[in-house]
Amino acid sequence: MKSMPDSWRRETKPHKFCPGCGHGLVLKALGMAMDRLKIADRTVFGVDIGCSLLAWDFFNADTIQTHHGRTVPVIIGAKRARPNLVGIAYMGDGGGYAIGSQHLINATMRNDRILIIIVNNTIYAMTGGQMAPTTLKGQKTETSSRGRDPKYEGFPLRGPEMVASFAPEGAYVARGSVSHVQRLARYLERGLENQLQDRGISVVEALSTCPTNWRTNAEDTWKFLEKEMTDYYPVGELVSPFKRDTQKEAADLETCH
Amino acid sequence: MSITFTKNKWEGPKGVFIVSPDLCKGCGLCIEKCPSQVIDWTKETGIYGTPIVGAKRIDRCTACSICVLVCPDAAIDVEKNKM
Ligand SMILES: Cc1ncc(C[n+]2csc(CCOP(=O)(O)OP(=O)(O)O)c2C)c(N)n1
Ligand code: SF4
Ligand code: SF4
Ligand code: SF4
Repeated sequence: MKSMPDSWRRETKPHKFCPGCGHGLVLKALGMAMDRLKIADRTVFGVDIGCSLLAWDFFNADTIQTHHGRTVPVIIGAKRARPNLVGIAYMGDGGGYAIGSQHLINATMRNDRILIIIVNNTIYAMTGGQMAPTTLKGQKTETSSRGRDPKYEGFPLRGPEMVASFAPEGAYVARGSVSHVQRLARYLERGLENQLQDRGISVVEALSTCPTNWRTNAEDTWKFLEKEMTDYYPVGELVSPFKRDTQKEAADLETCH
Repeated sequence: MSITFTKNKWEGPKGVFIVSPDLCKGCGLCIEKCPSQVIDWTKETGIYGTPIVGAKRIDRCTACSICVLVCPDAAIDVEKNKM
């Protein structure tokens, strides 16, 4: 197994994320998917404001950094101008579900041929760990010091489920987790294939870690991701236009870590 | 441009475990995920000035490569021995 995908730009490593940050694992999964499809040289990779911007020099691919929440429309613009490009919009849950939620909804409604990746670490990480739409019930953050109370702050948003509820024909919607990197890489690969085949939009959420703002050690980081987060945010494909041999598929995912 | 990273190596019965001090940030995620409790802290520090890991119990390593997969910094390599 290769530790670093070929699409990673080696001269910018070590990358700029904190120790134990899940962004590194989401981008590893994305790198694996890009390697398999051999698309790095025609990819335009958009990063948001938030910790996702630390990936501005991450890949051997053209990269653009946008205003907060505007990565989706910027990548759609590039894709519409140059349909042969592979467009990837990469952002946090704040960028995707709060300030940029209108773009997520309108891009899905229009079935724009891009891949949207939303990294769900349950908080606004770059600004110091404030509450996000995805913050779990009872979770303490900088702006919910007694824990998120649904009475005042609402329930955590299940983004892929929302998108799936009105996803047009040809769309691909999934939720993966950095605790299963290979499976997440499969979802991202399918999302990219969907775009290459000009079928429709692809939206993949990745459950991720932020030990810095969670203030967790390695053991508790895995625990929060694999127990609390995964209990509320189930992992799997929600909408898929691919006709597949489901038995083979199940066996394939079974061997994935 | 071809970039190479420094390698610390441990040779075991099933394969070679390699960690790069240029990449390891000492997060400890790999220690938790190794199913055979092979990995532990060393006295060396890495790129962030934090303690880095090594294969303290290399005899137990099955070369399963789970550690390679879970390292967010791609600091670990495992070369499986040819059977
Ligand atoms: C228009 C605008 N509003 C607010 C901010 C401040 N800001 C910077 S990053 C960020 C949120 C980051 O959280 P998220 O999108 O979840 O990404 P993460 O850092 O968790 O990866 C905010 C609100 C900004 N830069 N621009
Ligand atoms: S603050 Fe959190 S999300 Fe941002 S780089 Fe650090 S660990 Fe990653
Ligand atoms: S290859 Fe497997 S057994 Fe060996 S150190 Fe890595 S996780 Fe542990
Ligand atoms: S997961 Fe990687 S960066 Fe973290 S301690 Fe292990 S080798 Fe170092």
